[in-house]
Amino acid sequence: MAEKKGFPMPLEVEYPKELEGWEEMYPPMYMFSKDRKEWEEKHFWFHDKIHAPEAMYPLDLIFHEAWQISLSQYTTRVFCIPPAQGIAQRMVGCYMYITPVAPPPPEIIGEKAGLFQKRVFYVFDHYDELWGVWLKKFKALGEEMNNIKVPEEFPKFESDDTVFPEPRGYYTSFDVINAWDKLVDLMIKGWQYHFQYLNLAYLAYLLFADICRKLFPGLSESTIGKLVAGAYVQMFRPEEELCRLARLAAAVPAVSKILKSDIPADKKIESLRKTAEGNDWLVEYEKSKDPWFFVSCGSGWFHYEGSWTTKLEIPFGYLKGDIERIEKGEKIERDVPSIDKARAELAEEYRKLIKTDEDRKSFDDTYRAVRTIYKYAEDHLFWVEHWFHTIWFDKVREFGRLLVKSGMLKGVDDIYLFNRFEVPLIIEDMATTWALGEGVPSRFQYWQTKAEKRKKILDAAKKWNPIPALGTPPEEIAEPFTVMLWGITTEKVQDWLKGMAVVPGEVTELKGFASSAGVVEGKVRVVKHLEEITKIEQGEILVCPTTNPAWAPIFTKIKASITDIGGLTSHAAIVCREYGVPSVTGTGIATNVLKTGDTVKVDGNTGIVKILKRA
Amino acid sequence: MSYILWFDKAGKEAIGLVGGKNASLGELIKADIPVPPGFSVTTEVYSEFLSGGGLKEKIEEILSRTDLQDVASLENASKVIRQLMAEASLPKRIEEEISSNYQALAQVFDVHDLPVAVRSSATAEDLPGASFAGQQDTFLWVKGSDEVLEKIKLCMSSLFTPRAISYRIKMGFPHEKVLISVGVQKIVDARAAGVMFTLNPTNGDPSKVVIEGNWGLGETVVSGICNPDKFVVDKVIMVIERMVSLKECECIYDPVRGGVIHVDTTPERREIPCIEDQEILELARYAKRIEEYYGCSQDIEWAIDKHNPFPFNIYMVQSRPETVWSQKKKEPVLGKKSAYELLMEKALTRIKISS
Repeated sequence: MAEKKGFPMPLEVEYPKELEGWEEMYPPMYMFSKDRKEWEEKHFWFHDKIHAPEAMYPLDLIFHEAWQISLSQYTTRVFCIPPAQGIAQRMVGCYMYITPVAPPPPEIIGEKAGLFQKRVFYVFDHYDELWGVWLKKFKALGEEMNNIKVPEEFPKFESDDTVFPEPRGYYTSFDVINAWDKLVDLMIKGWQYHFQYLNLAYLAYLLFADICRKLFPGLSESTIGKLVAGAYVQMFRPEEELCRLARLAAAVPAVSKILKSDIPADKKIESLRKTAEGNDWLVEYEKSKDPWFFVSCGSGWFHYEGSWTTKLEIPFGYLKGDIERIEKGEKIERDVPSIDKARAELAEEYRKLIKTDEDRKSFDDTYRAVRTIYKYAEDHLFWVEHWFHTIWFDKVREFGRLLVKSGMLKGVDDIYLFNRFEVPLIIEDMATTWALGEGVPSRFQYWQTKAEKRKKILDAAKKWNPIPALGTPPEEIAEPFTVMLWGITTEKVQDWLKGMAVVPGEVTELKGFASSAGVVEGKVRVVKHLEEITKIEQGEILVCPTTNPAWAPIFTKIKASITDIGGLTSHAAIVCREYGVPSVTGTGIATNVLKTGDTVKVDGNTGIVKILKRA
Repeated sequence: MSYILWFDKAGKEAIGLVGGKNASLGELIKADIPVPPGFSVTTEVYSEFLSGGGLKEKIEEILSRTDLQDVASLENASKVIRQLMAEASLPKRIEEEISSNYQALAQVFDVHDLPVAVRSSATAEDLPGASFAGQQDTFLWVKGSDEVLEKIKLCMSSLFTPRAISYRIKMGFPHEKVLISVGVQKIVDARAAGVMFTLNPTNGDPSKVVIEGNWGLGETVVSGICNPDKFVVDKVIMVIERMVSLKECECIYDPVRGGVIHVDTTPERREIPCIEDQEILELARYAKRIEEYYGCSQDIEWAIDKHNPFPFNIYMVQSRPETVWSQKKKEPVLGKKSAYELLMEKALTRIKISS
């Protein structure tokens, strides 16, 4: 396979023996198959390292199932981006691959153009009011999910108040079945909302980038990103709330002493409860917590990442660091007004270089449009992937506990080993068994055996290195996400082809997107799994598959970041620009090639990483 | 009469007296740009030189009886005229005034025979649409009053090279209307030198300064006989993109032979950039300031002095309007389209992925 020039075809992939049985974990539509072979081989499938860098737990696939439908329908059936179609997904040995679907026939493009014009221009014109409506709607959806009641256990007998004065008519069995269905429905609906304006935001960005390159052919990608990036981004609120709490604590020695100590976070809260000052601070902490600490410790895409509300050590660790820095007289907050001012000045300076009034007008129009709607791309992230997903994970955990209590599964998180179509089967088995009365066996052994087998398959998948892409590279891409978010360009495809033949030890240079300007040298820390993030030391260069805004506080620690995947508006790029940390994203192979301790030079102006010394 | 005008005293208002090149140096000084000091020998000197001793009449007579369409006779006429001018003397009082100003310039640097560049500066030169640039002479490393005077006369006679004569005929400029001034300027003993543009000449990008440079005097860059280093600087974020060339030769002053010669660049300097980052950025800052001062794109010659420490080693020796893109770029790049028209266009385009 290594000798071949192109990418292998999907059905040619060879899997390690240990992965045997992986297919049964995912819905059948996710399989490459002989019956769709011709269509599948014509497409270009790449591993989605942005949203699914790690082996996929079956239940975590729900987000992807939801976005495949939602993202695609906005492009094809709602806002109708004329030459673009949806993005299709497949599973390959526990890893998710995606492809932009080939363009539609010309007559469809024509029909879509009319609808696009009517609908999209309307949204652009009314965006400010529409965003307010969206946020209200979305918060209500999250509240609805939060209010779902998952019974803690199946009662031995239903209580009297469900019978008198009028028998309720439905009981715990229905409550449980219904709660799950509702939870899944709301998740799917949340993701329908997620893409409500995102396609348009990315399209506006691509348009603005195009215009910039026509006016200033040599303008760097990172500068275009800087021109668009907003300073007042809600994804930064969790960190801003931490800064606020750190300031409050630093002013009260009794509180800061506890927060700086090395005892576990729950013990810190216990100690704070014992004093009046501590309680005052805890009141403030609770105020920040909902919604702002409903933030994933990772990307929000994996159940095991945890959130600031479940992994207290993470926010309390940041708090400790912040308080210590305040005491040393250091500034901990991002200077938001001056970031915003710097962006405005940057835009004005380029604007002044435009030679004709007509061009200046086109630039102004487009810049205004992109600045208005691009906020959506930046703000939805907190509300959907973090706040909403955190609520979801909390609720699913309640189901996990119920399944353990009922003897169906061994561990609370074992529920994630079953996909969203399988979980209702276990729930039904549990409910039926309860309904049938005493001494009736469930099929718990079947479920538990399956769970054990799947754990082994996933462990094996984590050790397997999937190839970057399959199928036939396309000649053109009209799908804005493919370019914007995944950064799929000619060069990328070619680099992947080259990368397949690469011997990691022989590489001396990596190329990626110049996502955030600046040049630095230093030692790298390779972080492939989220748990390793706490090992990062001051002044190291972070190397990872992709970074997430929730890692924001470590961006004050690191000198630069290098990622495998990610375009100019990937989460990593946005955060790095905000923090003025040089960044090269979308190198394709950084985590394979670099080892912790290697010395590299990161050039965020050109997108080149030079390996200076091997560890 | 003003026979001598120092650069800092004569800007574009004095173009009739000092010519385009010298006037532009005056303008640069007004804009606070470092320019090697010096003075203009004005067009009045030229007028008096021609009218004294009947030179003017003799030249007119020669030209009137020459078949100017015939290359051989044109060449002969040019030779005779230039010979006449070389043999004639400048009026004594003018000679004295030039000498004393030269000595004053030398005294500024406390050097006896200060090496200077003597350059012609024609009144019709460098005006937009009438590119006389490069048609007059430049003499480098001229030392001592006598040599300065001799080179001044040579510069003046450069108005009568065959090329200059036939160009004037072609363009319909009367010979007697074109006057010439000469600049006498302290030479920059250059470690590196070159040219820069206030836009990217390859694609017209107005957000870039493009600097080209080589070791030694700027001659090798201007004439294009050597691959220069190229640096592209973004005017706003001031980020440098470097393209360092293999530089095999350079142009230097040879004190033994007393002239400018081409030599092979020493091996250790061939593959390293000829200017440092701080110098690149300083040059770009000057380029921006000059463009802003003139209000249009510029084509600038610069030099970095061997002897002075940064930032006092950086000099601009020439600036003129950039011609290629400035003419072209009057048209809007985006075709007068609204954001919605552009969006519609964008939405209909596919992004090509070439393999």
